[in-house]
Amino acid sequence: MTFWLTVAGMVAVTFGSRYAGLASRFELPDFWVRCLHFVPIAVFAALVTPSLEGGLGEREIRVAAACVTGLAAWRTRNLGVAIVAGMLAFWALRWVSP
Amino acid sequence: MDGVVGFRRGVWAMAPLWLGVVPFALVYAVLARDAGLSLLETQALSALVFAGSAQVSAVGLFGSGAAALGIVSTTFLLNVRHVLYGLSLGRRIPLSRRQRPVAAYFLTDEAFGVVAASGERTFAFLLGAELSLFGMWNLATLGGAIAGSAITDPAELGIDLVFPLAFLALLVPLVRTRVELLVAATSGAIAYVAARGLPGGLPILLTGVVGSLLGATLTNGRLGEDVDVEDAAREVA
Repeated sequence: MTFWLTVAGMVAVTFGSRYAGLASRFELPDFWVRCLHFVPIAVFAALVTPSLEGGLGEREIRVAAACVTGLAAWRTRNLGVAIVAGMLAFWALRWVSP
Repeated sequence: MDGVVGFRRGVWAMAPLWLGVVPFALVYAVLARDAGLSLLETQALSALVFAGSAQVSAVGLFGSGAAALGIVSTTFLLNVRHVLYGLSLGRRIPLSRRQRPVAAYFLTDEAFGVVAASGERTFAFLLGAELSLFGMWNLATLGGAIAGSAITDPAELGIDLVFPLAFLALLVPLVRTRVELLVAATSGAIAYVAARGLPGGLPILLTGVVGSLLGATLTNGRLGEDVDVEDAAREVA
């Protein structure tokens, strides 16, 4: 039940954002345009760091895997390639670490 | 008749972007199943919310037992940029009162980017591009959800690592200037510290607000109108 209520809330804020712009004709002040530009950067970064450590005491190899993903994302700009590269590095490091 | 032709052109204009969307949807669906969502719940998010990064962050938060308010506010933060796309599209494409909610429901970074790049100015083209992505996103979700069920011991495999890796891979292409790098690093640090003391969802909200205000303040009078909405859409896509 909580799940579906949460989904209803997600739909409301998502559709609301999508509809608000289409239905109105105002100019957003410059400061807020710039603010919106930085929202994905701030939020994506916030979604990376807290869950990077994991609960199994594998901090070092998880961070190393993230470096591989970061590098791959920078070179290829391809989400799938970047994630697979990081996970392969993670499994390889797990395999070789004592 | 013109409508059908425009619609078809929209569908095919989106086709190159399927390449990016399919792996994203697969990642989402596998993470959703890993977080304990059923097949129906996994699919429902794709059909009803239809917003990749918000769906991935939501299932991460569902998995960690975050409060509904935290999940909804994170979704809002991640999707509020659509206001910009709507404002821009509303000026380019004449939409009737009935077309507006339909165009809004399926609006994505990708659809905005494709329409902006194509120069087409019809509702039919926009809808074609939108539904092209919606269909592919939901098909790939279904595939990933079924495949995700086959992963028997996700914790043992360390599948949860896909979550931060996915957002890191989304973040990297967005960071091009020194201010953007500073905002990303500061935000990462704030969230890391905040996550130790605050319940799930809240650290992201806090970081999103502080980080974006920091960026807007630091670029005062410099970026100005250079913040190109179309460019931003392409990056996020």
